[in-house]
Amino acid sequence: MTLQSAQQLAAPYSSESKGLLVHLDHVDKIYPNGTVAVQNANLRAGEGEFLCFVGPSGCGKSTIFNMITGLTSHTAGELAVLGTTPREARKQNEIAFVFQEHTLLPWANLLENVTLPLKLRGVPQSVRKEEGERVLELVGLKEHMKVLPRQLSGGMKMRVSIARALISRPKLLLMDEPFGALDEITRQTLQDELLSIWQREKKMTVLFITHNVFEAVFLSTKVVVMTPRPGKIAQMIDIPVPFPRGEDFRTTPEFSDYVRAVSGALNH
Amino acid sequence: MNKSYAGNVTDHAYSEARPAQPKKMVNKSVPGKGKQLASQIIPPLVVLLLFVGGWEFIGRLIGIAPYLLPKPSDIFLAARDNIGNLMVSVGTTVMEAVIGFAVSVVLGISLAILLALSKMVERSVYPYAIILQTIPIVAIAPIIVIWFGAGLNAIVIISFLISFFPILSNTLIGLNSTEQNMKNLFYLYNATKFQTIMKLRIPAALPYIVAGLKISCSLSVVGAIVGEYIAGIGGGKGGLGYAITIAASRLQTPYLFACGLSAAILGVLFFLLVNQASKWLLSSWHESAMNHSN
Ligand SMILES: Nc1ncnc2c1ncn2[C@@H]1O[C@H](COP(=O)(O)OP(=O)(O)OP(=O)(O)O)[C@@H](O)[C@H]1O
Ligand SMILES: [Mg+2]
Repeated sequence: MTLQSAQQLAAPYSSESKGLLVHLDHVDKIYPNGTVAVQNANLRAGEGEFLCFVGPSGCGKSTIFNMITGLTSHTAGELAVLGTTPREARKQNEIAFVFQEHTLLPWANLLENVTLPLKLRGVPQSVRKEEGERVLELVGLKEHMKVLPRQLSGGMKMRVSIARALISRPKLLLMDEPFGALDEITRQTLQDELLSIWQREKKMTVLFITHNVFEAVFLSTKVVVMTPRPGKIAQMIDIPVPFPRGEDFRTTPEFSDYVRAVSGALNH
Repeated sequence: MNKSYAGNVTDHAYSEARPAQPKKMVNKSVPGKGKQLASQIIPPLVVLLLFVGGWEFIGRLIGIAPYLLPKPSDIFLAARDNIGNLMVSVGTTVMEAVIGFAVSVVLGISLAILLALSKMVERSVYPYAIILQTIPIVAIAPIIVIWFGAGLNAIVIISFLISFFPILSNTLIGLNSTEQNMKNLFYLYNATKFQTIMKLRIPAALPYIVAGLKISCSLSVVGAIVGEYIAGIGGGKGGLGYAITIAASRLQTPYLFACGLSAAILGVLFFLLVNQASKWLLSSWHESAMNHSN
């Protein structure tokens, strides 16, 4: 294994990671205080995949995301995003983020909020408005574009947050427990909406963190099961069920089987 | 599939949107406003009338000499007889306080932004700002008079020195209290440091900045009066502080009271003005400005 990482170091971005949006190869993350947050993580996310990360609190899910976005750096192994370093990848404006909190600017209306990424890039006003209306339409909030975030419910705020992520037509969308704070009904509605947006975009790759096994199985093409202390990827479980997945998928025996498989992997 | 999906979303959005807040808030505040205002103003007004009436009554009953303790009527007469001088003094003090306050706002906010831009600069400069703040103004004032001469310059500088620090420290706390999540968001979308300051940290610090302004505006009036007390005539005419020293030395106690009251009223009016301005500044987003009348 040491030999392999040495080879990887010699050729940092092998042709192998070219077609992949995210490629982790024997990645470790040890925080300065000694916490081993992630150990020996191997992961490949190709175009159009929907990966859900499940695992108990503290198993390193957010840490993996933070390494992919370049908020923190990995301490061993190889990590390529869009075929390059996280830092370079981010500059291509092909990556978008949704956090657990909606992170909307309270003083800016919905249109200004969703167009923030474009504004930071210096995109002209007319284009911003057009794109802003497009994504607000996608999440069903176009009529509310002049409204301030505090006038919205939690579910609507999360929709705005998703709209903001979609504005630059990202190739890679990272979502860290986006629906964690929502009630079950709103959560399911948003899951349906997210899936149909993802299907429309066709080529968009989504990485999605959740604590909820049902959510993971319902949404993903593949579930990444993680276990804590030290944070490890325990198992990958493919969910080869075709899309669109309607509400009825949640009640099929197939669905229960997958849920059982993921839960089993979690408890190992 | 797509069609029914789109319909679904809009329906859902509508049903969620209906209980949205703004309409409710407008409805509530319109009929309630007059009543609320009355209930806020009447009780202190009653106390004031009782106090002034009692003071006048006891003063007349006991017959204390006006130069020891003037009755409200003495103060009123003194103010009326010297209304010209009083107005000139008030005007002078207003001008000094406003200039001192304006300089505090500009320098306080700019320095806070500079400090917030670099942790290094903050760590090396801010302790001295705190030390400067703890030196009593009466110790610094004479030096300022020596350096800048008695008069307007010295008075404005003293007013500035007193009102500067609350703006600086409040703005700095505000700029440093931006949520980590929001900072990450800007970082991930490749915002420059300048964009993060202008579009995130300053707007997020606005409630703190405004709190600093409210403290400082009253202090700037105090500073102007203290300055006049020490540095004398500002702009060729004496302000309230100067008038107070003169009245005291001549035992014109009723006029001294009139000047003191004018200074108090001035401070309150200045505060109310700044308070109104801050409400307007914050009304677009900060909730405390809308819910409490603070
Ligand atoms: N900046 C940091 N410095 C030191 N340790 C950290 C830091 N961030 C996270 N950790 C530790 O690393 C481990 C993994 O944290 P991480 O946030 O990735 O977990 P998570 O799977 O996202 O958990 P949750 O589901 O609660 O969000 C935890 O033990 C955590 O305490
Ligand atoms: Mg996390």
